[in-house]
Amino acid sequence: MALALTARGPGPVPAPLRSKRRRDRLTVLAFLAPWLIGLAVFFIYPLVMTVYYSFTRFDLVTAPHWIGLRNYQFFFTKDPKVWQAVRNTAWLVVILVPARMLFGLGVSMVLTTLRRGGGIFRTLFYLPALAPPVAATLAFVFMFNPETGPVNVGLKSIGITGPLWFNDPAWAKPALVLLGLWGIGDLMIIFLAALLDVPKDQYEAASLDGVKPWQRFRYITFPNIRPVLTFGAVTGVIAALQYFTEASVAATVASGKANIGEGIGTTLGYPDGSTLTYPQWLFVKGFSDYALGYASALAVLLFAVSVVFTVILLRRAHAFTPTEESLR
Amino acid sequence: MKRQRFFATLGAGLALATVAACSGSSTAAPSVPPSPTAKVTGTVEFWHFFTGREEAAVKAAVADFHAKYPDITVNVRGGQDDEKMLKAIAAGQPIDLALSSTTDRAGKFCQSGAFKDLKGYIDRDKLDLTQFPDAVLAYTQFNGVRCTLPMLSDVYGLYYNKAMLSGAGVTDAPKTTSDLTALAKKLTVFNPDGSIKVAGFVPEMGWYENAPAHFAPSFGSKWLNPDATSAIGGDPSWQEMAKWQKDLVDFYGIDKLTKFTAGLGQEFSADNAFEKGKVAMVIDGEYRSAFVKDEAPTLQYGTAPFPTGDSHTDLDGGGYITGNIMGIGKGSANPEAAWLLMRYLTTDTDAMVKLANAIKNVPTTKAALASPNLEADANYKTFLDIFGNAHSSTTPASPTGSQYQDAMADFFTKWQGGKVSDLGAALLDVDKQINDALALATGP
Amino acid sequence: MSGLALQQAPVATALPVPSRRRARKESLFAFVSRWCLVIALTLAFLAPVVFIALTAVMSNDQALTSDLWPRTWHWDNFVTVFNKAPLVRYFANTMLYATLSTAMMLVSSVPAAYAMARLRWRGRNLAFLAVLTMMMLPPQVTVVPVYVMWSKLGLTGSLWPLILPNLFGDAFSIFLLRQFLLTIPQDYADAARIDGCSEFAVMRRVILPMAKPGIAAVAMFSFFFAWNDYYGPLLYTSENPSQWTVSLGLANFRGLYQVQWNLTMAMTLLVMVPVVVVFFLAQKSFVEGVTLTGVKG
Repeated sequence: MALALTARGPGPVPAPLRSKRRRDRLTVLAFLAPWLIGLAVFFIYPLVMTVYYSFTRFDLVTAPHWIGLRNYQFFFTKDPKVWQAVRNTAWLVVILVPARMLFGLGVSMVLTTLRRGGGIFRTLFYLPALAPPVAATLAFVFMFNPETGPVNVGLKSIGITGPLWFNDPAWAKPALVLLGLWGIGDLMIIFLAALLDVPKDQYEAASLDGVKPWQRFRYITFPNIRPVLTFGAVTGVIAALQYFTEASVAATVASGKANIGEGIGTTLGYPDGSTLTYPQWLFVKGFSDYALGYASALAVLLFAVSVVFTVILLRRAHAFTPTEESLR
Repeated sequence: MKRQRFFATLGAGLALATVAACSGSSTAAPSVPPSPTAKVTGTVEFWHFFTGREEAAVKAAVADFHAKYPDITVNVRGGQDDEKMLKAIAAGQPIDLALSSTTDRAGKFCQSGAFKDLKGYIDRDKLDLTQFPDAVLAYTQFNGVRCTLPMLSDVYGLYYNKAMLSGAGVTDAPKTTSDLTALAKKLTVFNPDGSIKVAGFVPEMGWYENAPAHFAPSFGSKWLNPDATSAIGGDPSWQEMAKWQKDLVDFYGIDKLTKFTAGLGQEFSADNAFEKGKVAMVIDGEYRSAFVKDEAPTLQYGTAPFPTGDSHTDLDGGGYITGNIMGIGKGSANPEAAWLLMRYLTTDTDAMVKLANAIKNVPTTKAALASPNLEADANYKTFLDIFGNAHSSTTPASPTGSQYQDAMADFFTKWQGGKVSDLGAALLDVDKQINDALALATGP
Repeated sequence: MSGLALQQAPVATALPVPSRRRARKESLFAFVSRWCLVIALTLAFLAPVVFIALTAVMSNDQALTSDLWPRTWHWDNFVTVFNKAPLVRYFANTMLYATLSTAMMLVSSVPAAYAMARLRWRGRNLAFLAVLTMMMLPPQVTVVPVYVMWSKLGLTGSLWPLILPNLFGDAFSIFLLRQFLLTIPQDYADAARIDGCSEFAVMRRVILPMAKPGIAAVAMFSFFFAWNDYYGPLLYTSENPSQWTVSLGLANFRGLYQVQWNLTMAMTLLVMVPVVVVFFLAQKSFVEGVTLTGVKG
């Protein structure tokens, strides 16, 4: 007997059933109560307030002061750095996400071909994904130190002058991509699972027909793993929109600034704003310059962009909710 | 403690927070009790920015205070930067006394009311403000609101490695920036592969103490107009500074320089490049001499005012001054005790001299400057002289804090990277950025 | 928790075993090139860890040079870092943050996930949509008002603003738990209901024991998230070093304590170790949580 909370059909309802229904409703409410409070306090209320603050000047010390659309006007016409931050974040979406997808797919395809030792290599390739982001970033900044790091020392020994990596505006983001590829484990694992799920008889039929490897991928593998690729792409984009930790640590450490008496706001983006991401600029404006009203305007615009990607993912929601009847 | 406080306020607090979006706080001058009739007791939360050896010296000064006023306990928390202090004050944490390392945010602290207006206390206790030098008085207030008092200051000048200079047949420190450039080229040693082994002078902005603000007094460069709008684009001396800097950067090549600096030790560690002899000349504060004494006692070095721009030789002897400033937090639970500690640290001659001797900072009262107990060796004397020089100056206070300096630093990053083609236009763009930020932070 | 944690989620689908699909004989060339590729990848994935470890035992002076192999072995570096920075404190704070938030998350999220997966009520789909949306949106969108809220409660400068919200459900965990609960057949629960069990008893006695692997996996994601979190502690505790977590301490280590790369790398290694140990101890749980994310379309 499933609980019939959804009242349906016209006509009178017998009294005992009605009281049961009320009891059931209370049960559901009791189960949901903490989450409902969370929804109100940590989601709906802050969303509303963010919109309100975005029309004010607010420094946390004095009360918010209504200034209309001036924050938005500043964003679109005056902010000297925000477009650089937007470009950097867009760069991450366009380069980092596909690079991780391709590399993850490539590595997992190599793994599927292994007949012996597959388990060991799978674990070895996965392990870097476990490294805490701060630790992994520190390690990379050290390895890619232009003067003393092992990467450039190695390149030098074979006669190549390595770039300045995290110290060069043109190479800082590519270095972050390498860091992202190193931690590919998570993506690799879901791709691997999907690849192994492709029905084998399809491959067998194909090999009887003498199909070329590329065609095999194009017409058998790809359609089968497409939902997982979509999942990986959309979650990757959402993570890229939030990209903060790795860029912050890389900038702070590579700049070599002592940061005594100053704050993190002065080093984010090093070198030359090349690693300044949108969420970082929001952080600097809000919690370094204390322009919380302007930071809220930045948040509202970030919200607008994220919603687009969230909707795309929700549209594909059936792809990863197989056992639920339907969403709507 | 925090937990109890939380659960006590959980129910009411959450509900309240959802309704009370605005803090409704006022920035009016604080009400000051007519006179401190009752004995001042209690605890003072004192936040400052010092770390390591210098932090220990501050603790010693606080211990002296406690010996004098045993009824007042001081909780000292070091290693705090302006950003964090402002955050804590804004978030209502009970900071009683805060010590900031720069005057950059004095405007912000005073204007927003993050630091209390001290007028009431000063008038009541008839504190004599003339005991502070004029320059110091100027940077501790903003728009007529005095919310801070000065506690020691930092003075910047040129440090040079005597052994390296004499190795090149030079005995005197350079007087002009052209002299500096010529000498730097002479002292630089390259490796066989073309990379830098020893640099005469590192001109890269952003490295160690290389900041536009620290070079500005040597060129007489002006930052802001009295209304806090930018004066940079209209002041040709900035172009002179930029050209001098770029010229020396190009001598090395920005890539080689970046590579070189990335391989150097941290500024405030024992691996400091000047102390290690990797760089022959640096611009640095008077405190460096205390670090050298501690970390590289055998280093033979000299100090001098930083060379002036070629067309600004009249500014000879001046330099950049910045002060440590002290204020009482907006949410202070014990402002009377904080005021006592503040007065002790900012005006007690013995306390100031002792602290100045320990960390080699420059005192900020006339009495302490003249004190016979001030240990002034030749190098330290250089900085006392710069401090007293009429051409020395500091960075002006602005309601946007140090944003105007950040804009200039961003310009220099692009400039030294060779990404600026029209210098004049780029500086006018800096003007625009500063004025736009100001308009957003103030105005109707 | 945020969408960032999404990246970790798929571990749950972990480690499936490749089949001996292609028994067909392959050429020597293909064999060699494939293993060259595998070895190259292995080196690429492992080299950073090796360099970290080698640098971690170098002397102070050598850490500033471009030598890769330690001239003298300084195992004492691992002790020195504890004297340089309050590492024990950082670890204790991180443990507190990770365990408390995980425990609170379970208490609040399990019932919510249960209601969304196992009970029928009007608005259920809408509620699930809300969970998905909360999970996807960057935390920066709501950060300003949430920060203001905590500052009014006087809790900034501590880790509580990061721990306490877990009492009110975590979207990502609710999502994963719901996916897992959906896979448990209804029959058991129905039998218990006919026996007159209350809904709460059904959840506690019948469903939860069967959902153990899923709960374990979700708990682990939550724990790892807190352990690795940098943004949250940076925002709420940067002004109060006594509350710092290992991530924050590590990020500030070099700048604040003015140390060389050798000690920095020693601390980096120390921060990595617990996570790897937990992973190996609990790898089974990860694998058992295979169906959890249900990403296999």
